[in-house]
Amino acid sequence: MSDKITVDAISLEVFKNLFASIAEEMGVTLRRSSFSPNIRERLDFSCALFDKDARMVAQAAHIPVHLGSMPASVAYAVRHFEGFLQGDVAILNDPYRGGTHLPDITMVSPVFGPDGLEFFVASRAHHADVGGMSPGSLPLSTELYQEGLIIPPVKLRMSGWFNDGVLDLIVANSRAPQERLGDIEAQLAAHRIGELRLQDIIIEYGAEAVKAHAQALIDYSRRMTEATIAAIPDGTYRFEDALEGDGQTESEIPICVTIKVSGEHMTVDFEGSAPQVAGNVNAVSAIVRSATWYCIRLLAEDDVPVNHGCFEPIEVITPEHSLLNPDFPAAVAVGNTETGQRIVDVVLGALSKALPDRIPAASQGTMNNFTVGMVVNGQQYVYYETIGGGHGAGPSWHGISGRHSHMTNTLNTPVEALEFTYPLRVRAYELRDKSGGKGRFFGGDGIRREYEFLAPATVTFNSERRTRPPYGLNGGKPGACGQNTIIRADGTTETVGAKYTARLQSGDRVIIETPGGGGWGKTSSRKSKR
Amino acid sequence: MHVGVDIGGTFTDFVFHENGTLRIHKRSSTPQNPALAMLEGLRTLAGETLQTLQQVSHGSTVATNAILERKGAKIALITTQGFRDVLFIGRQNRSQLYALNPQLPAPLVPRERCYDVPERLDFRGEVLQPLDIKALDKILDDIAKQKVEAVAVCLLFSYMNPAHEQAIRDRIRERGLLEDWQVALSSDVLPEFREYERASTVALEAYVRPIMGRYVQQIADALPSSCHLRIMKSDGGVISASTVRQQAVQTALSGPAAGVIAAHYLARLAGYDNVVTLDMGGTSTDVALFAGRPTHRPESQIDNLPLRFRLLDIETIGAGGGSIARLDAGGALRVGPESAGADPGPIVYGRGGEQLTVSDANAILGRLDPEHFLGGEMPLQLDAAQKQMEQLAEQMGVTAVQAAAGIIEVANININRALRRVSVSRGHDPRHFTLVAFGGAGPLHACDVARSLRMPRVLIPRYPGVLCAFGLLVADIALEYSRPVMRPVTIASVAEMRVMMADMMRHAHDDLKREGVPKEQRRFRAILEMRYKGQAYELPVSLSFGKIKAQVVEAFHETHERTYGHALRDREVEAVNLRLQAIGIIEKPSIEPAPVQDNSGADALLRLSTAPNGQRLALYDRELLVPGARFPGPALIFQLDCTTYIPEGWKAYVDGYRNLILEDIAQA
Repeated sequence: MSDKITVDAISLEVFKNLFASIAEEMGVTLRRSSFSPNIRERLDFSCALFDKDARMVAQAAHIPVHLGSMPASVAYAVRHFEGFLQGDVAILNDPYRGGTHLPDITMVSPVFGPDGLEFFVASRAHHADVGGMSPGSLPLSTELYQEGLIIPPVKLRMSGWFNDGVLDLIVANSRAPQERLGDIEAQLAAHRIGELRLQDIIIEYGAEAVKAHAQALIDYSRRMTEATIAAIPDGTYRFEDALEGDGQTESEIPICVTIKVSGEHMTVDFEGSAPQVAGNVNAVSAIVRSATWYCIRLLAEDDVPVNHGCFEPIEVITPEHSLLNPDFPAAVAVGNTETGQRIVDVVLGALSKALPDRIPAASQGTMNNFTVGMVVNGQQYVYYETIGGGHGAGPSWHGISGRHSHMTNTLNTPVEALEFTYPLRVRAYELRDKSGGKGRFFGGDGIRREYEFLAPATVTFNSERRTRPPYGLNGGKPGACGQNTIIRADGTTETVGAKYTARLQSGDRVIIETPGGGGWGKTSSRKSKR
Repeated sequence: MHVGVDIGGTFTDFVFHENGTLRIHKRSSTPQNPALAMLEGLRTLAGETLQTLQQVSHGSTVATNAILERKGAKIALITTQGFRDVLFIGRQNRSQLYALNPQLPAPLVPRERCYDVPERLDFRGEVLQPLDIKALDKILDDIAKQKVEAVAVCLLFSYMNPAHEQAIRDRIRERGLLEDWQVALSSDVLPEFREYERASTVALEAYVRPIMGRYVQQIADALPSSCHLRIMKSDGGVISASTVRQQAVQTALSGPAAGVIAAHYLARLAGYDNVVTLDMGGTSTDVALFAGRPTHRPESQIDNLPLRFRLLDIETIGAGGGSIARLDAGGALRVGPESAGADPGPIVYGRGGEQLTVSDANAILGRLDPEHFLGGEMPLQLDAAQKQMEQLAEQMGVTAVQAAAGIIEVANININRALRRVSVSRGHDPRHFTLVAFGGAGPLHACDVARSLRMPRVLIPRYPGVLCAFGLLVADIALEYSRPVMRPVTIASVAEMRVMMADMMRHAHDDLKREGVPKEQRRFRAILEMRYKGQAYELPVSLSFGKIKAQVVEAFHETHERTYGHALRDREVEAVNLRLQAIGIIEKPSIEPAPVQDNSGADALLRLSTAPNGQRLALYDRELLVPGARFPGPALIFQLDCTTYIPEGWKAYVDGYRNLILEDIAQA
């Protein structure tokens, strides 16, 4: 072993690769051994490494919303338990104790070197059902208790001994118990790989060298983030937008941001945003931080490894008792998906005033969550899908069409897999022509997706941008609003709200049309060609 | 005479085999029409009439380049009503997570030529809505006006019932629009579920089929009719020129396949069955693993477009001799994926390159001999590289030599990561594998990379630069058949599958006969892909024909356990696809080992030299090394198209096949 650990440009790059490959390998393991289509097909999960102070070192993320919210889970678990022993695994989903919304189940386990605890590995996966008042666990709720099973940080495994009772309890609360078991097993398998690989590099390089480089990588990402912020002109920038209702009322819920940029540091203050609401769109502050960090990460010129260092130069302030920092047990089911998207819209909107030649117009600004529960011949079916839409146009590009934007990047379930598994049919899945906002550069088009139900079903829509369109920038027109429609078997057609739950009969149809992206720039004499 | 021809961007390589001798020929490629260099080369080897040619196996990048450069055929796509945008929506995701302006790959078919026709099947293949011929005719009217060269057809659930897709092809023929081969049906090309991947694959097929067809025809016309022309596929097998017209897209990722097949063949001959291959060129590195037999994967992509068919499991990364090194804003030394390519290339090539590359670092460390580089044809511009390296070193606060060593170290960690993906991540322990290195830069990096994974041994083939051409000579004919099953594994369904399999076998025998493969040279492998009900991905289980249901299910549980660490024995098991791989073993060149006589390699020793980092290196000429030579590192071995670097702590041995066998003394 060397006496003195040195970190240089070369060893930094070497360790960057080492840490990243561990997180990546955990992700591969989780995906391949998981059970639910949501994880295997849609990749709704992330894996990460943390130092022993719960600071994130490396992450393999498929979904930006997990970016800043994983650290909250690990920090809470570490604070909550006096200590971790080798072979322990903590599990949690409580949004008020390190989680985001209940379907996201996070697991945390320690990694020991020869001299004791050195690192943590963590995984988060969106489980398709954790109970609650509607299938898919994204209900139009008014308190957390309605959203499903609340798991405070508990030890699922202690010193290698499984707490079967905890596992049974979790599984018993899901509408798809077998799937939960398979997916939790898969997360454990990922942890096993992460622990082994970290221990390998501790043996190879020595714990001190590994820790020194973990710190160096955090510093590295901090420097890169500071450079990104320094490139934004100093000043104060404001922006405001709103959600369209909380599933209980349709009154608008404002979200305001004031960004102060000063040199290499920025403060992002959400003062002025709405107080917490009765419905399910409240977002815990971990989500607000994720969305804010995501926006800054977009601006980085180089490929920056996502870790604790990315967060340090950015101060995020969320007013107490507000939509963006609610008190337990406020409902939060879709704060993660819908409110998260709107936070991106306001932060980018404010930044567009500082960087008018870089920031694009608003993208669809929703994930168009659609959950379906059916019982046919005693068999339970739970189906969850999110639908892509139009991207905002930018100062030199058209927005892309029919894709997920910003805080999510999940894949769709293939129609041929869907109809094989569930008693429903997809009648159309196509782009919505001319739904992108006009401008010098066009916003991308949304999607039109039509389902037909072959058995009675309970369906829930959790969507946004049905009345307030995605904004255009610099004279560009807004994108078209989305629309949710139910067509009954007898032909009765009803346009329903952005957040809505309905009981359907066999032969009923649902059409979801997703928003287009905002346009950029005035349509000038030189008409742009798409 | 049997010939393997590999066409690269710069050189076209030939390896030919006649009466027990192997010879090599190299000539400049003719990128405008790659067949020119090939035919000229063949005439040089076999005489103007080419009458002595019995077999020509060819690796082509024609399809690959047509896709990458979007120079394929003008095509149209026909889908089920409501799904005409299947290629545009894809899987709804974007390829970059953090991008202000995420972009999509340029489409192969403009939206105006994507049509949807009223028709619908359910998931069992039963007709819900018959094909609307009137509406189809309208579409065909439009297609007729557009003068397309090929049509791709992808209807929902056509893999369960191809009737509607076939009816569309029939109608196109009846109307005299196109010939049958110009209509690519998804139920022929890829009879499997997942509509986007199937549509993408069949669109790519239609896109390259006319071009590949013309290209292969041009070559076939020039060859005598008695000569078999075979083309390399991405799975490492070859197919006849006539089959290529049905499976053109299968050649699209065949670039690295031939080298991998050759590396494994040579290693096996030398006595090593478990190998990892490392093919490092100018812009990228390909790695693959063989645990006794090649490993395959079910899908890949080209330019972010998914391609679904079985192909060699090759991991490609952007690290090569031309990879550019730079210090990023956070102070880390980055190498690649940007590359200086062949033009302008590294600074030391003196062709106007101004950015430091991996090759420049190797040159500064004295690992590219200025006098012997490319046989001495190309003088190395060391001074210019040295100057740039000193600038980088100053920013890093180290010496130029340390900076150069750093570039190599970072390039190696990138390669290490790729090697881990094919080995450790898939449950293979690298300590039980031999690393076979080739390509222009592979032998320079092989030992360092092997040591980082504790691989005990490196094998450098005699001609690492023409391995792809050699691979074409030893590749077998490979055909693949698949049928969807999509139902639980029961006694009844297993019986049905047996009938399906017998039918596929009949087809396979017919096809192999047409390929000229005698009965005793035919091999078959039956595979059933299964999953637990509710899972999204299936696992392949080898299916010997007589197996009963209980054995099939148990074999799946075991495979699941081996792959993922757990089995769920109380769950229902679903059969997804039934596959048959048919192999036609082709006659291989017989290579006999030369007699081995212990020697020190002193006859091949050029001189001793001191590298800029103070390392004493012995320099050898590969041409003069004879079987039985043993000598220790550190050493450099020069040959025409590559250099092998043997670090301290390694020893070298030349075996009877004149392979260099390098062993890590600490691991041995």
